[in-house]
Amino acid sequence: MEEFFQQLTNGLAVGAIYALIALGYTMVYGVLKLINFAHGELFTIGSYLGLTLLTSLGLSGFFGPVLGVLLLALMVMGLVAVVGALLERTAYRPLRESPRLSAVVSALGASIFFQNAVMLIYGARLQVYPQGILPRTAVNLFGLYLPLVKLLILLASVVIMAALYVYIHKTRIGTAIRAAAIDQGAARLMGIDVDRVILIVFLIGPALGGLAGLMVGLLYGQINFTMGWVYGLKAFTAAILGGIGNIPGAMVGGILLGVIEAMGAAYISIAWKDAIAFVVLILILIVRPTGLLGERVAEKV
Amino acid sequence: MITYGVVTALLAMSPLFLNKYWVDVLNNVGLYAILGLSLNIIVGHAGLFNLGHAAFYAVGAYTAAIFNTRFNIPVLWLLPLCACSAGLFAAIVMRPIIHLRGDYLCIVTIGLGEIVRIALINDVFGITGGANGIFGIDRPSIFGIAIRRPHEFFYLIWGFVAVAVFLFYRLENSRFGRALNYLREDEVAAEGSGINVAHYKLACFVIGAAWAGMVGNVFASKMTIISPESFSFWESVLIFTLILLGGSASIPGVILGALLIVGLPEVFRGIANARMLIFGGAMIAMMIFRTEGILPPRPRKYTLSDDSSGESRA
Amino acid sequence: MKKILFLTVAFCLIAATAFGASTIKIGLMAPLTGAWASEGQDMKQIVELLAAELNAQGGLLGKTVEIISADDGGDPKTAALAAQKLVVQDVVGAIGTYGSSITEASQNIYDESKVIQIANGSTAVRLTAKGLKYFFRTSPRDDEQGRVGVQALQKLGYKNVAILHDNTTYAKGLAEEAKALLQKKGVKIVFYDALTPGERDYTAILTKLKSARPDGVFFTGYYPECGLLLRQKKEMNWNVPFLGGDANNNPDLIKIAGKDAAEGFHFLSPPVPQDLPSKEASDFLRAYKKKYGSTPGSIWAVLSGDGFRVLTAAIKATKSTNSDTVAKYLHKKLRNYPGLTGTISFDDKGDRVGEVYRVYRVNAKGQFILQP
Repeated sequence: MEEFFQQLTNGLAVGAIYALIALGYTMVYGVLKLINFAHGELFTIGSYLGLTLLTSLGLSGFFGPVLGVLLLALMVMGLVAVVGALLERTAYRPLRESPRLSAVVSALGASIFFQNAVMLIYGARLQVYPQGILPRTAVNLFGLYLPLVKLLILLASVVIMAALYVYIHKTRIGTAIRAAAIDQGAARLMGIDVDRVILIVFLIGPALGGLAGLMVGLLYGQINFTMGWVYGLKAFTAAILGGIGNIPGAMVGGILLGVIEAMGAAYISIAWKDAIAFVVLILILIVRPTGLLGERVAEKV
Repeated sequence: MITYGVVTALLAMSPLFLNKYWVDVLNNVGLYAILGLSLNIIVGHAGLFNLGHAAFYAVGAYTAAIFNTRFNIPVLWLLPLCACSAGLFAAIVMRPIIHLRGDYLCIVTIGLGEIVRIALINDVFGITGGANGIFGIDRPSIFGIAIRRPHEFFYLIWGFVAVAVFLFYRLENSRFGRALNYLREDEVAAEGSGINVAHYKLACFVIGAAWAGMVGNVFASKMTIISPESFSFWESVLIFTLILLGGSASIPGVILGALLIVGLPEVFRGIANARMLIFGGAMIAMMIFRTEGILPPRPRKYTLSDDSSGESRA
Repeated sequence: MKKILFLTVAFCLIAATAFGASTIKIGLMAPLTGAWASEGQDMKQIVELLAAELNAQGGLLGKTVEIISADDGGDPKTAALAAQKLVVQDVVGAIGTYGSSITEASQNIYDESKVIQIANGSTAVRLTAKGLKYFFRTSPRDDEQGRVGVQALQKLGYKNVAILHDNTTYAKGLAEEAKALLQKKGVKIVFYDALTPGERDYTAILTKLKSARPDGVFFTGYYPECGLLLRQKKEMNWNVPFLGGDANNNPDLIKIAGKDAAEGFHFLSPPVPQDLPSKEASDFLRAYKKKYGSTPGSIWAVLSGDGFRVLTAAIKATKSTNSDTVAKYLHKKLRNYPGLTGTISFDDKGDRVGEVYRVYRVNAKGQFILQP
């Protein structure tokens, strides 16, 4: 029983990271109907930029751990957001009027490009975050080992998701985003600057992905240029699981995927855990074809 | 038409003036061309989002490998078996999920590809050899002539391509092909016109899978060893990309796409480490400048005969 | 007019070949891109350094040595094409590569064109079981490592052992060898499973391992995962010792795990140049440091350097670039050649002879200490 809860918490922590990345996928999909395959690389870029900033600016020593990490997070998010906006401008905007699949290929090309760019700039060897930035304390609740940092990440993800939800549903810009997601043409007719909306989406989504990258670097210490591929695929799976285009869906999907993986590893087989996650996904989709929480976007009929 | 003729003639004579390496590159182009054609039916004609095609490819390759190494059946005789096993596999796994829409189908096909790959690595049922794969597969032989060298493979593979092109051309222009295009353009109207959409979708997956399975057979006998790494998600992405780069739903487009996808990284070898970087950039550029692909299909033409009266056209 | 043209062209061609003949081309097949790019790029740096040194000393048989690299991308299909490319460029031998199934995809191509292949990071036993005359390897074999691993586990006194691999050809092969040997010696295997490489969070696996209660864990995978395992198990306060295979021999392991997590970790490896007393090793290290500013990260890349050295030594000794002559020399005459990783001799199958593997332990300062 103890193992069950321990694995559950393990899964939740992993799932929180998936959820953050999945949020980025789902937002972009909602507005552009595009699966941004390059999103995983934005995650990688976030973690590498975090490393560079950390080592060159020595933030934690200067400001103390909490403030330092916060500042680092803001900087990384800002930088990755810029990269995301540039990506949109160069690789996706020219293809707005084109068939959807062309944009997908462009996204794949962008993914390859970024991955290799990171490899060439930072070298093919894996990089390691300096240790000791985040506190290593763990809470010991009922004999379960719960690292404080993972709890914080989980908390942060929930807070961010809540904030995002409020933003999308309660602010004017959020409404504009939702309108553009439903029908770009009609939104334009209503006076909404769709280009601006898309730009904002490509600032927020990549920022979240970059933040996830930074968190992974701080939490696990080791980063390498190929990690975006796997994380990106899993996050995409999570987004679909929850219902693509649906923000709470991405959150639920991410956490659920993390838990399924941990449980699959614990009770069936570690070697098969990814296959198990996909099987569960397929089963869920057979029963609920638009994902667990369904889509929030109207379907073209 | 003439350009195609000239190109075909040049291609047929190329082993005479190209060295082994470039002939082998063309061999790979040929294999990818058929793979592209097999996926084209699904993605190009029916408009279904399939990013797990490598799974069918793998089923065919492993069927050939297992039956050849265990039962010593000559590889070429196994072609029909590979087609059947891959097709059957597609029929069984796609049946419950064929009604899924666009992007959901995409992730499910990705998932399938991954499940197959993981199953292969984990030596499912003890027959796939795990991460090592299967080695010692025989080379093909036709009437006793063993096919070993790149030049010999060239004629085998491109002969196969010719057959595939012919058959797919007939399929495209048949009722089946037209039905697929219809359901790609407007699924609801197609259903309303009496086309059993689910049935057609499943059929095109089975056909595509069967062809991919046969390519797997040839691939296995060419490499003589196969391992799960060759059938990763990346492989599916490559096949998908080549269709879109060259022009989906267009046979010359797919072949051109195969040429680009295999040829460009080889041409870029000179840049060593930055090889894939340039390739990624090239992909983006190509999509921006030729969105429909380089050789998109021409719209269907129907000639009206003289005595069709005006009113039925209103 | 035409005759003059013809003669000029013919003359140019002959001159070109004659000109070309003033270099000896040696091929390097390595993963320059893809998942193993760090290994491949290290290999390239080492072999190019050695070639430059050789050329500075007058070259090989009076000619300059030219290294032609071909990227195998860590993928069998690309490797086959890379091998074709090298063969077509008339290399006298090819060094490479890393990854047994990648090497395997290229073996037949080299063999059919009679090009010598010296693999540096391919430990699968079956590679030399095919009777390929021109294939050699400077890397040891999985079965030897399995034997040494089991010896080490027994010496450390573990009665219940957990074995963890990562489902790659290499790691799984080693895990299976170890499992078979341990069971024969009556040691209980309490856990046998694989993790997925390339991930970051292994807490689920560690939790499962912990509940199996082993005395020691034999991890046969690679250093990125090992570093994470060590670090995360320390965070969980679980202190059961780990023994690793040779893919863990990399200074980055300490960086990832952190010094206190890595202390006490044992692993198997061919000795690194830093631990060899020979002059060749120290000269090499000095030259490498001077050119690239660091020590080589991977023992496998260093083994490619050894591959280069034995190939050029054989060519020099036989004064020929004919593959049959060189292969025969390598099989029969090359004995106890001073390599960067110890003395090298090859047996009839092309395997490296001798007990190459040693046990290392990580001390509190994060250094790798060779155990007696």
